Amino acid sequence: MESLKDFLYTMTSCNHCGQCKWLLGPKMRSWKYSEVCPIHLRYGFDAYSGQGLINIAQEILEGRLKYEGGLIELIYTCLTCGACDVNCKSIRDMEVLDTILALRAKCVEDGQGLLQHKEIAGKIDQTHNIYGKSHDKRFDWMPKKNKLSADSSVAYFAGCAAAYKYPEIAVNTLKILDASGIDYKVLGSEEYCCGTVLWRTGQTEAFRKAAEQNMAVFKKQGIKTLITSCAECYGTFRGGYPRFVDMDIEVLHITEVIQKALTESKLKLIKKQNLTVTYHDPCLLGRLSEKYVPWNGEIQAYGVHVPPKPWRRGTNGVYEAPREILKSIPGVKLVEMPRNAENSFCCGGGGGVPAVFPEFTKWAVMERLDEAAGTGATAVVSACPFCQENFKKTSNEVLKYFDITELVAKSL
Amino acid sequence: MSLPSDIYSAFEDIVGPENISDKDYVMAAYRHAGPGAGGREKSPGPAAVLLPGSTEEVQAIIKLCNRRNIKYAALVSLFAAGRILQPGMIFLNLQRMNRILEINETDRYAVIEPGVRHVQLKPELMKRGLNYPTASVGPGGSVLANFIASGDHHMQHGASRVNRYLLSVEWVMPNGEVLKVGSIGNNAGWFCPDGPGPSLRGLIKGWNGWSGSFGIVTKVAIGLDVFRGPKIMPGEGHSPDFTVRFPLDRHKVHIFKFPGYDKLRDAMIEMGKAEIGFAVLKFFYATECALTTTSANEFFEVWNSGLYQRDLPFALWVYLATYSPEEMQYEERVMWDIVKEFDGQAVDESIRKKYDDNLDHMFVIVSNLQRVLRLGGGWAGTKLGGDSISQMFEVAKTIPEYINEFIEKKWIIDAPYNYQVVPMEYGHMAHIEMLSFFDVTQPGHPNVMMPLMQRSAETDVKHGFHTATPMAGNPAHGPLYSNFNLWVEKIKKAFAPMN
Repeated sequence: MESLKDFLYTMTSCNHCGQCKWLLGPKMRSWKYSEVCPIHLRYGFDAYSGQGLINIAQEILEGRLKYEGGLIELIYTCLTCGACDVNCKSIRDMEVLDTILALRAKCVEDGQGLLQHKEIAGKIDQTHNIYGKSHDKRFDWMPKKNKLSADSSVAYFAGCAAAYKYPEIAVNTLKILDASGIDYKVLGSEEYCCGTVLWRTGQTEAFRKAAEQNMAVFKKQGIKTLITSCAECYGTFRGGYPRFVDMDIEVLHITEVIQKALTESKLKLIKKQNLTVTYHDPCLLGRLSEKYVPWNGEIQAYGVHVPPKPWRRGTNGVYEAPREILKSIPGVKLVEMPRNAENSFCCGGGGGVPAVFPEFTKWAVMERLDEAAGTGATAVVSACPFCQENFKKTSNEVLKYFDITELVAKSL
Repeated sequence: MSLPSDIYSAFEDIVGPENISDKDYVMAAYRHAGPGAGGREKSPGPAAVLLPGSTEEVQAIIKLCNRRNIKYAALVSLFAAGRILQPGMIFLNLQRMNRILEINETDRYAVIEPGVRHVQLKPELMKRGLNYPTASVGPGGSVLANFIASGDHHMQHGASRVNRYLLSVEWVMPNGEVLKVGSIGNNAGWFCPDGPGPSLRGLIKGWNGWSGSFGIVTKVAIGLDVFRGPKIMPGEGHSPDFTVRFPLDRHKVHIFKFPGYDKLRDAMIEMGKAEIGFAVLKFFYATECALTTTSANEFFEVWNSGLYQRDLPFALWVYLATYSPEEMQYEERVMWDIVKEFDGQAVDESIRKKYDDNLDHMFVIVSNLQRVLRLGGGWAGTKLGGDSISQMFEVAKTIPEYINEFIEKKWIIDAPYNYQVVPMEYGHMAHIEMLSFFDVTQPGHPNVMMPLMQRSAETDVKHGFHTATPMAGNPAHGPLYSNFNLWVEKIKKAFAPMN
C-alpha cells in the first residue's frame, strides 16, 4: 500500500476549487441537498473536507503540523465515504481519499491511532469479528435445511454484521441464491472479518493480516467467486485487498447476482408489495466499489501518468443493479433522492466513526433521512448492514428501512 | 500567529464558539496555495477564521477589527480567493450566509447571500424557467463573489457581463456601517442598481471598481433572464462520463474555422448584428481539449494528434438556444449565411459533437471547468480586459510578443492561440483572456503567473491597450485611461485606509 509521501502530487496540485465539497453540476437538483461532504456540511471550516485533510496531510508529512489536541479527532471524524474523492476525480487526476487513508495510517504509525479503533482491532484479532463475540457462533444464523455445494467454487461471505446482528440479511440472501439456482457454499468456521474497519482507520498491518488470512482460506477452499450481501465487505475485497494480496477472485454483490438472474429469467419476483421506496447507495457498493489496480508509475510534467494509471473515479460502481431490482418488484415504486449514485450522502456509518463519534453519525443519518423523506417515499432501501444499523436506529413508522434482500425474498 | 485571547473571546461572543477557530490544524486549510496562485504559497495563514451567520455579525466583526486594528479578508469558496498576506489577519468565511432570500419571478431578480453557490442557485432558477449570467468557476463557486469580483463568462453574447446584472447591494462598509446601494436603499425593493441621486455601485463593481475587496458585501440582487432549457438539469450517466443533453431541435452548438483573425472577427460582429446565438465566442482551444477529456493522459492523446491546432486557432463557437424548432431553423440559416460570407467551414465533427452529448462542457454551469487545473495545476490568465470586438482582436494579434518566450523555454504548454474573445450584448463590447498552463510540481518549471502577467502588461502599455484590472495591473495603464488607477487608490484611501 502507498504511504503518505506517495500522494505528494495530490497535496501540491490541489487548487482549492471546492469540488470535493459540492454536488457535481450535471446532477444538481436543489439548493438544499447540494453539499456532498458530511464533515464540511456539519462543521463548516474547510479543514473539515477533502481539501482540508490533504492540506493537513501535507503539513504532517513535512513536520510542520504537530499532533495537538483536536487534530486526531478531526482526522477521524471523516467518514471516508469518498464523496470528495469521486467528485474531485470528475475534474482532476488526484487521489483525495487514498491520501486521507494514508494520513490515518501515518497517524497509527506515529502512535496516534484512537483507542476505540484499537479495541476493535483487538476484537478482530481475538474473535475474528468486530463485535468481540464468540467465533463459534458466527454461523448460528445458518438455516439447518439449506443445501450447500461443498465442491462449489462460489462462496457466500456473510460478513460480521449479517452473521451476528442482522442474520435475516444472510438468510434472505441464501433464499435468493437458492431460488436463482446457484450452487454455492459458505466458508463455515473459516470465515473471518474482512477487515474493512482496519483498512479505513489506518491500521494497515492488522488489515494486511486479515487480508492474507482470508485469501489463504479462499485459495484453500478453491473459491473463484465470492458473493457478499455487505457493501463494506464488497468494497473492501475489491478496493482494499488488491493493495496487499493477489486478489484474483471475482467478487459479486448480491444485487449483481439478482440482476443477472432476473435478466436471464432464472429468478422471478411475483408477490406484490405496495411501497414507494428510495434507494440509498452505500459508499462501498457505489462510488468506492471499483476494483483497485496497483499502479507503480511516474507522474511526469503536466500531470501525465506513465504508464497510464487505471483510475477509480466511481464511474462503474454498482448503481443500476439495485435500482433495476427494485423496479422489478411488483408494486414497488422507486423515487430518487437528490444526492444519489456517486453523489450519495453517507449514512454516517463509515470510517470507524460510529465507534468514536456516535453523535456525528446520528447527525449524518438524520440529514439523509430528511432527504429521503423529501422524496415522498415511505421506505428507505439499501444493501449494506452497516447502513441498516444507522437507518434502523433512527427511522420510524413514517419512514421504514429495508435491506434489498428482504424485499426480494418477500417477492419470490 | 494567534489572536490575543481577549480579542478571540470578543469574536467568539459575536459568532459563537462553534464558528470561530484559531487552531493550527484548522488554519492549515487556509495557508496552502494552489500551484497557480502566485504569491499565495508564501501566505502565513490567517490568525483565525470566523464563520459569521448574518449581516449583523459581519458588522460587529468589522467594528471590532477597526477598534483593535486587525486586518481581515472575506472568502467563500477558496478558489481564487482572497489571500492572507500579513501575519495577524483574519478570514471571514461567509459560507454560513447561504440563503436565497428571494426569487422574484415577476420582476426577474434573485436576492442572495454570499454563501450561495452556483450549484444551489442554478437549479432553483431552472425550475422557474429563469437563468443568470453564470461565471465559469465550477459548481462550488460563490455567485455573489462572481458578481462583485469577476465579470465575464461564456454566454454574454446573448446576455451581458455580470456587472450589468448586479442590482441592489447590501454592503457592510469598512467602518462597519451598512450601506444599501440602489433601490433597496429607499426600501423600494431590490430591483434597481441605482437609487435617487448619484449611484454608488461603481464603488463595488463598475467596470473594474474595487470588486468588493473592501468592506464586505452581504447581500446582492442579480438580474435574471428567461432560461430556454429544461426545468431540471438533464444529467445522465456517472462521473466523469456524464451526458447533459438538451433538445437538439432548440439547442445546438456549431463550431466554425476561419482563415485568420480578421474573418473570424468579422463573422463574430455579423452574428451580433443579426442578433442570433445565445453564445458566440472564440474559445480557448487547449482549454476546449482539457474540458472535454477526462485525464491529463487523454488530453495529450487528443492534443498531440494536432487536430485542435489544425481546426481551432481561429474558430468560432456558436450556441443557438431557441424557443422553437422554427426559430432554430431561422437562426441556422442566418448563421450559415454569415459563415459562408467570411469563408468559414465546420470544424471536424468529433469536436462539435461533444456538445450534443454534453452541453455543460461550456454552456450551462460548466461543471468541468477545473479540468484546466489537471495539467499540473498551474494556470495563468493574462490580458483579461474588455473593449470593442475589433480592439480585442488587435490585442490578440500581440499575444505572440510575450507568450512565445515562455513556450520556447517549455515553461507553459505550447498553445499560443489559447485565448478567448467573448462578445457581450450582441457585440457592443467584448472580453479577451489568454490562458496558459504550467506545472510547478516539476523541477525546472517555475511559477510563471506573475512573469506572464508582467510581460502581458508591458505589451499592453506598448500598444496602448487597456486589458488589466487595477489589482492585477500596473500603474502604467493609468494615463491611458483617465488615470483610473489614481481614482481607485483615492477611493481605497477614503473608504478603507487601514485594511
